[in-house]
Amino acid sequence: MRVKGGTVHVRKRKKILKLAKGFRGKRHSCWRIAKQAVMKALKNAYISRRLRKREFRRLWILRVNAASRQHGLRYSEFMGGLTKAGVKINRKMLADLAIRDPEAFARLVELARSHLPAPASAASRSS
Amino acid sequence: MATKGMQRTIVMKKEEMGKTWTRDWYLVDAKGQTLGRLAARIARVLMGKHKPIYTPHVDVGDYVVVVNAAHIKVTGKKLEQKKYYRHSGYPGGLKEQTLEELLQKHPTRPLYEAVRRMLPKSTLGRRMLKKLKIYPGPEHPHQAQKPKPLETLP
Repeated sequence: MRVKGGTVHVRKRKKILKLAKGFRGKRHSCWRIAKQAVMKALKNAYISRRLRKREFRRLWILRVNAASRQHGLRYSEFMGGLTKAGVKINRKMLADLAIRDPEAFARLVELARSHLPAPASAASRSS
Repeated sequence: MATKGMQRTIVMKKEEMGKTWTRDWYLVDAKGQTLGRLAARIARVLMGKHKPIYTPHVDVGDYVVVVNAAHIKVTGKKLEQKKYYRHSGYPGGLKEQTLEELLQKHPTRPLYEAVRRMLPKSTLGRRMLKKLKIYPGPEHPHQAQKPKPLETLP
């Protein structure tokens, strides 16, 4: 006997079309196009979940760099000094501190500077 | 969860600019400054990358007023050899100008072009560029904003 699988067939399509809600034009209604659009969207979502972690880290480093340069230390010098001082605050919190509590951040920069060899902390280019 | 943590990063909204955060005005004397190095310094300030609140999708940069832009310096033989190209759109319409000619005709153009090409090529980038005010001579009409001197390398 030939199996047509009516309800299974409908359910499968409904599942995909549900994910395609809000897509532009035929991409949310036409089965063939919607299926491709959903495949691509899920792929992009997968990639972006991974990229998000790298992008945020980049942003924190950028902010910490800007903040430490205001106090005359480059990012690498600042982080190097903190490591030597045994400070284990992560980049996210450092970026947060730089915005919410500039004074605490300034003290951290001083701490980092005190653990650096003398010439490195002198006359660095502020940016 | 990792994701949740990242989403607690402070992200600025564009509406906050001018309310919670203000823009500064900076003054730069271009006399004797090297073209590209100065442009890079200015571009950072226009983008706001010198501030801890830097947010990629918001223009958080400051204003930069440049005076004496006609007295910019370049190294080597760039005055005669650096060329600026533009195309009129017609066949054979490629025009070229040396830096020397451009400085003669439009004293502020070389620095403006250098900064423009260092900024993002986007709507946001073009908006950032509007905060750059360049003047060929020592005067500028922004006294009311009381621009602070911007440190640059000698």
